[in-house]
Amino acid sequence: MKTTRIAIIGFGVIGRGFAEVLLRKKKYLRELGVDLRVVAICEVDGSLVNEGGINLEEALKGGSGKKRDWTPLKAVDVIKKHKPDIVLELTPGNIKNGEPGLGHIITALSNGINVVTSNKAPLALQFYELMNLARKNNVVLGFEATVGGAMPVINLYQSTLRINRIRSIYGILNGTSNFVLSKMEEEAISLDDAVKEAQELGIAESNPGYDIDGIDTAAKVTILANSLMNKRVSFKDIKIKGIREITPKAIELARKHGYSIKLIGDIKNLEVSPRLVVKGDPLDVSGSLNAIMLDTDIAGEITIVGRGAGAIETASSLLSDVLEIAR
Amino acid sequence: MKMKIDMQLVLEDVPGSLLRALGPISSHGGNILSVLHSRSGGGRVWVMVTFQIADQESLNLIKNEMGKTRVQVSEMSVEGKQYYSKKTLSFILVGHVIDSDVRDTINRINEVGLVSDIEVVMPSPEEKSSVMMNVEVDNGRLEGLISLVKRVCKEKDLLLISSIE
Repeated sequence: MKTTRIAIIGFGVIGRGFAEVLLRKKKYLRELGVDLRVVAICEVDGSLVNEGGINLEEALKGGSGKKRDWTPLKAVDVIKKHKPDIVLELTPGNIKNGEPGLGHIITALSNGINVVTSNKAPLALQFYELMNLARKNNVVLGFEATVGGAMPVINLYQSTLRINRIRSIYGILNGTSNFVLSKMEEEAISLDDAVKEAQELGIAESNPGYDIDGIDTAAKVTILANSLMNKRVSFKDIKIKGIREITPKAIELARKHGYSIKLIGDIKNLEVSPRLVVKGDPLDVSGSLNAIMLDTDIAGEITIVGRGAGAIETASSLLSDVLEIAR
Repeated sequence: MKMKIDMQLVLEDVPGSLLRALGPISSHGGNILSVLHSRSGGGRVWVMVTFQIADQESLNLIKNEMGKTRVQVSEMSVEGKQYYSKKTLSFILVGHVIDSDVRDTINRINEVGLVSDIEVVMPSPEEKSSVMMNVEVDNGRLEGLISLVKRVCKEKDLLLISSIE
């Protein structure tokens, strides 16, 4: 059985979700002939390293706080010193400079180590630079989990639809804003009230700007534009208009005419803005669901609908990229 | 020899609209061969009607009468050759749409397309209003129309929520 050594950088919600799924799928992975061994877990204040394999059940019980067997080693030092086969970069993204994830990814790729990430910011800022670095060092940079959580859009295109030329891509790429707009429509409430409800349910952050101002969607638009439409763009090239100015009256008017208002990422035109979606259209998904519609020259229209966020759901995409490398 | 016409119509999804749309064809001597219709959402029905007509003059009379009764002809082929194709762009403007001279907004849009339908929701003079518009435009001028509407919205500080084309 082939052993693949993994370092998890960032053991927050997503990292813990990945560990849980690894435990849940232990038997399946063994049957597949794959031994995924987590040899390091790195957090902002230190790292846990065990070349024999970290006990994930214990790590999950212990939380991400400091413990006796944690070392003060920083993630970049762990990457350089222990040289795992795959670095799983799961830190929160900072769209201004991509750090700390950008530094972790560059260090790993430069040292000939494969990277799998759910961190949008580094890819939204330096997509081509990072892909070139991976190519130069003959390693893989897997980023399926950066867009649409569990929805397999990037790998679907690159494996099954690659012969197709994509004419357009429209997507509902942010679950929080979709939840807010759905609530406004269903309950005829203001945006502020819908945001409060989303916060109470844990769907929106205490500062929801990243979601409702369209920044998160724009980062995903950048990644899709580069990976599926070869646009060669960066985050700053995306025109962004969020949903803050949407009023209940506008939603009511749209509904009367057979439309819903959705925050749409228009990948072809590099634009994020609220748009009218015909009721019953494949993109007319409600709640925190995401949807991506590809219009291709041979396969025609394809729509993928699924959960765009959530630790366990995102782990599905992470694991798919990890297995692709491990096998 | 009679000409064969394929016409795609966009009708409101209300009782009687199909009958009203087909009336001009019959009244000007058209021989209807087939009628196919499907609901497209957005409160509209797409109808593809195929008919024979004696000459160009009768066809013009049919088109004029349809125009007067607000029947939108989105595409038309004569003897299998495309005659023209039109699109409808729907959008909502949010902001002080009326105070920022809605007449000027409509006039500027009408230079590229034709505002065929408009609905205004104005809760109170101080609050932002919402205006829904449907604009008919020749297929080749759609991009130009979208650019124009974006320009007007930027100038007048209005939020544009347009349909996906």
